Amino acid sequence: MNVPHSTSWKAIGVGLVAFLVALPLAYAQRSEPSRGAEPSRGSEPQRMSEPQRAPVQQRPAVVDRFNHGTVRHVDTHVVQQPVGGRPAYHTPPHVIVGHDVDADVHRHWPWHDFAFGRRWGVLPIGCISVFVNGAPYYYGDGIYYQPSDGSYQEVYPPVGADIPQPPDGAIEIDAGGLTYYYAGGAFYVQQDNGFVVASTPIGVTVPDLPPGAIQVSVNGNLAYQFNGVYYQPMFVDGVTQYQTFLP
Amino acid sequence: MNRIERIINFAFPRPSPRRSGCGHASGLRLTIAACALAPFLAGLAVLSATGAPAAPTSDVAVKPAIDPRANELLKRMGDYLGQAQSFSVNAEVWQDVALSSGQRVQAGRTIVLQVRRPDRFHAEVRSTRGNHGLFYDGKSITLLNRVQNFYGSIPAPGSLDEALDMACDRFGITMPLEDLIVSDPYRNVMQKAVSGYDVGPVTVLGVPCEHLAFSLGAVDWQIWIEDGAKPVPRKIVFTYKDEDGSPEFTAILSNWDFETKLPDFLFTFEPPAGASKITVAQIKAQNDAHAKEGK
Repeated sequence: MNVPHSTSWKAIGVGLVAFLVALPLAYAQRSEPSRGAEPSRGSEPQRMSEPQRAPVQQRPAVVDRFNHGTVRHVDTHVVQQPVGGRPAYHTPPHVIVGHDVDADVHRHWPWHDFAFGRRWGVLPIGCISVFVNGAPYYYGDGIYYQPSDGSYQEVYPPVGADIPQPPDGAIEIDAGGLTYYYAGGAFYVQQDNGFVVASTPIGVTVPDLPPGAIQVSVNGNLAYQFNGVYYQPMFVDGVTQYQTFLP
Repeated sequence: MNRIERIINFAFPRPSPRRSGCGHASGLRLTIAACALAPFLAGLAVLSATGAPAAPTSDVAVKPAIDPRANELLKRMGDYLGQAQSFSVNAEVWQDVALSSGQRVQAGRTIVLQVRRPDRFHAEVRSTRGNHGLFYDGKSITLLNRVQNFYGSIPAPGSLDEALDMACDRFGITMPLEDLIVSDPYRNVMQKAVSGYDVGPVTVLGVPCEHLAFSLGAVDWQIWIEDGAKPVPRKIVFTYKDEDGSPEFTAILSNWDFETKLPDFLFTFEPPAGASKITVAQIKAQNDAHAKEGK
């Protein structure tokens, strides 16, 4: 072959120019409907005449939703769970996980019966002794007792009390970067090998009032008071919850 | 002979040996060949860019992502509900709730739903402890906690679709069975469906139905549509495959009524005696509160 390479490259260059000229023409022809094509019918989606599989979004392994039972808002308010999840042995049993607050799951737990100041001649079976700042307390099933005049009096959960496990029925609440376990008006956080009663976080919402919370009026608005902390009822995600505040 | 020349020689043979020695003529031949091939190459580029399928290499037919029969039945149901000026229906809802122990329990509730298009909605949701009313009168949405006698209202624009979106996006409120309430129930589902097929006939509480299964991607959605002249849904199931344990949401629907007139007072909220008005928290405000708490 006696065709010099420079001639070949010139030919390729001319071909490339022709290719670039032909490209938009080919696109235009493709996007125009053919004359004989039937017009689309109303607003009916064209899926059936030309099915196209929408790309499935890549999602993390575990998510959570505020609300179930909707196609329209299936991806609205989806909560991403931590990668790998929380180790199961850290979480006490019977904690309700998930964010769908409209689901009504209720079971009566002993701490629901808490009544501040109520006296008992003997402690319930299974109580353990707990010392907080040197003061003796007894703890059983989410309720704290203090010895008083030969009896045992139900008291508010003392901040700093350290127990092996949160009470059964505790609810997991994430707030301010911490995971709380809420039961009987106490907010527990995990520390070392146990769970410690923390100060009530302000501004956090809880699904239920502490047992025995007293209805009060704050600046003319309805509120509840428990152990010095106030709870304001409000609709959160469509259901009644209570937000902690200090007047 | 380089590779390009070989291809061109194959497609465009030399006219005569006499002219083969002429480099100019040979270059011209290459140019003509390149120009002739350009539209073909452009066509190939377009096909590959648009993802058009290649010619089938086997006799296996490519099935559409949405089975035509499933599409037809869903469209029929959607049109029936969308064209109904008003209706009421009862639902029993069962929803999986996970305990951290790994145990799964089901939460149940009943819903009485009343809809009058284009801008009226009323639902009563009852469970073991809860008893809620939701009212939409074309101007505002009101939530009523009947047990504790709290209520709260939010302004809402004047169509059902807009009100549903605003309530969910801004206040985290998902109206019960909202997919049946929207103006175009068929389009509402099909916009998110990536596949679907007709599972077959089955009865729901003795009512002959057709069972359809759709996938929304990470969420599967099934619906049982009544056979006959009244193609209403009798059962709906969601399976959340992207959530831990793939929880399900099931709604059994009954007592469909398209005949009874639904007067205005059903949708207009009147506070019960002694009711307290409380705040309806916005999504953003709620997050802000949590953020402040964390500081």
